Amino acid sequence: MDDSPLLAPRDDVNVWDRSELEPRIRHVLERTVRLRDTGPYRPKSDSQVTDMLTRFFAAKGLEDIAITDVERMSGGASKEQFAFTLVHRADGGGERLVLRMDPLEAIAQTCRGREGEIQAIMGDHMPVAPVRWFDADGDLLGQPAVILGFVSGVTQPSDGGGQGVSGMGGQLGTLIDRLAPQYIDALATTHRFDWARAHLEFFDAPHANSNQAAIWQVNWWSQVWWDCLVEPVPVVTLAERWLRENAPVCAVPMLVHGDLRMGNFMFEESSGQFTAVLDWELAHIGDFHEDIAWTMQKLFGAWGADGVFLVSGLLPRNDFIAQYQAASGNAIDPARLHYYEVLNAYKCAVMDLGQAMRASVASNNHQEVVLTWLGSAGAVFLSHIVQLIRKG
Amino acid sequence: MLPSIDLRIANIVKALEQVVLPALTGRERLAKDQVNLCIGHLHMIAQQWRWAAAFEAGSFHAMIALAEQMLRSVDPGYAEELAQAIASAKAVEGQGLAEVEHAIVALGGLIDRIILGEDGKVALASAVWEAVLDYGEKQALRERTWFAATGLDPDRQELPSIAAMMKA
Repeated sequence: MDDSPLLAPRDDVNVWDRSELEPRIRHVLERTVRLRDTGPYRPKSDSQVTDMLTRFFAAKGLEDIAITDVERMSGGASKEQFAFTLVHRADGGGERLVLRMDPLEAIAQTCRGREGEIQAIMGDHMPVAPVRWFDADGDLLGQPAVILGFVSGVTQPSDGGGQGVSGMGGQLGTLIDRLAPQYIDALATTHRFDWARAHLEFFDAPHANSNQAAIWQVNWWSQVWWDCLVEPVPVVTLAERWLRENAPVCAVPMLVHGDLRMGNFMFEESSGQFTAVLDWELAHIGDFHEDIAWTMQKLFGAWGADGVFLVSGLLPRNDFIAQYQAASGNAIDPARLHYYEVLNAYKCAVMDLGQAMRASVASNNHQEVVLTWLGSAGAVFLSHIVQLIRKG
Repeated sequence: MLPSIDLRIANIVKALEQVVLPALTGRERLAKDQVNLCIGHLHMIAQQWRWAAAFEAGSFHAMIALAEQMLRSVDPGYAEELAQAIASAKAVEGQGLAEVEHAIVALGGLIDRIILGEDGKVALASAVWEAVLDYGEKQALRERTWFAATGLDPDRQELPSIAAMMKA
């Protein structure tokens, strides 16, 4: 799809208008602040999870419910996750499922309704974990959650040497040649998806041929920053000003995954076949350059054996760009790519030094020790922001 | 100091590695992950603790220097308030860690306001942009060095040791 600038007049918004925010995102951010003082959050026990799920499935009309083999899952830096088996009258054989549930606060405050809705739809286009139910505001479960079918696979080969936090820093080794085309295809398929015909309930779209796509993102993450502020960081504030004053036009808004990188695709270790594209929680309608810039971040990549840096641990930067353009038909505009590189470095700094720190200070998460570990990487993004803004 | 801080950190790490981790069943993956991260944090704290007050004092000093740089080019509407904030901050230099942390928040808050310029209504001089970028570059290098032991920094091989940074 060609999304070069159109001849239609621009439909820009005021770059300093902080009310320019996608409504569902505003709802989630306001809910976060409203509930912050109800903490601290305590990790749920297996029996608490069993009780919550039993009530939930009863409310959904299931009968003779049995929840068994509840097992807390590791991985991820955001949601409290449990695997469990559900047996009920209509399914005596049972199904292994995964509960992804919001603690009071996490490194990213997102919406289980959006995640459930888009993941269910994208299951028709690529491998994802099947969505069985979601509770967008926690009306039934007591906290927002999505319930997924269990999918087998790994995010790194057993000998990948990863750091074990959010799937970053590992090596994909001999599987690279099989994983890279599937990864490119997942990005291209996401961006080609015809969201306008999907009648999405939990998403709104920014205007085409407008800076609104960029400003919605700046307002989302700057609101997180100011709502969470623990200690001022002048470079973060400077980046906000730069992002407002340089917001580009997005001619054709597309579906953006928001977090497609090493650690967020699962595959069968023996074959390298994708079994699921994970973590759709940051998905939104916006500028596809945001996804491209996101996956190019150094923290989400790895150095190859020959000393060449690999985007998402898979491809050298130029190869990645060429293969993505060929697969998607989207031409990457270096100026917009640069803008979204700054935006993404800003976004990561806000998560690490803002939301993660606030959740830790308030003791509102189930694994603060992970949040402070990831927060320690905040300066990596500050360094990138400086380099990128200087590059102009 | 007996037992020393280093000794107690080493004891805790040993207990976690040799008693707590082996006691966890394979099913307790999150608990294992968290214990491993606790061990990682403790190793990092062992490298940092003796430099912690000096590191924070260095961060505070750098922020005051940034404020002084900004004062030369800042919009006149902010000049008096910024000058007073610099004087207040200098009065705190050399005090304890808690006072310094509090003062960083106070001075940093005013710097943030100046950078935003009442949400774009007040221009930001190019010299102020440059001053913030210079400060940000140096401070990011210090913090990357401080936390290099997480192994998350893809360019960590370029960083000095904490001791070398603090003695420089």
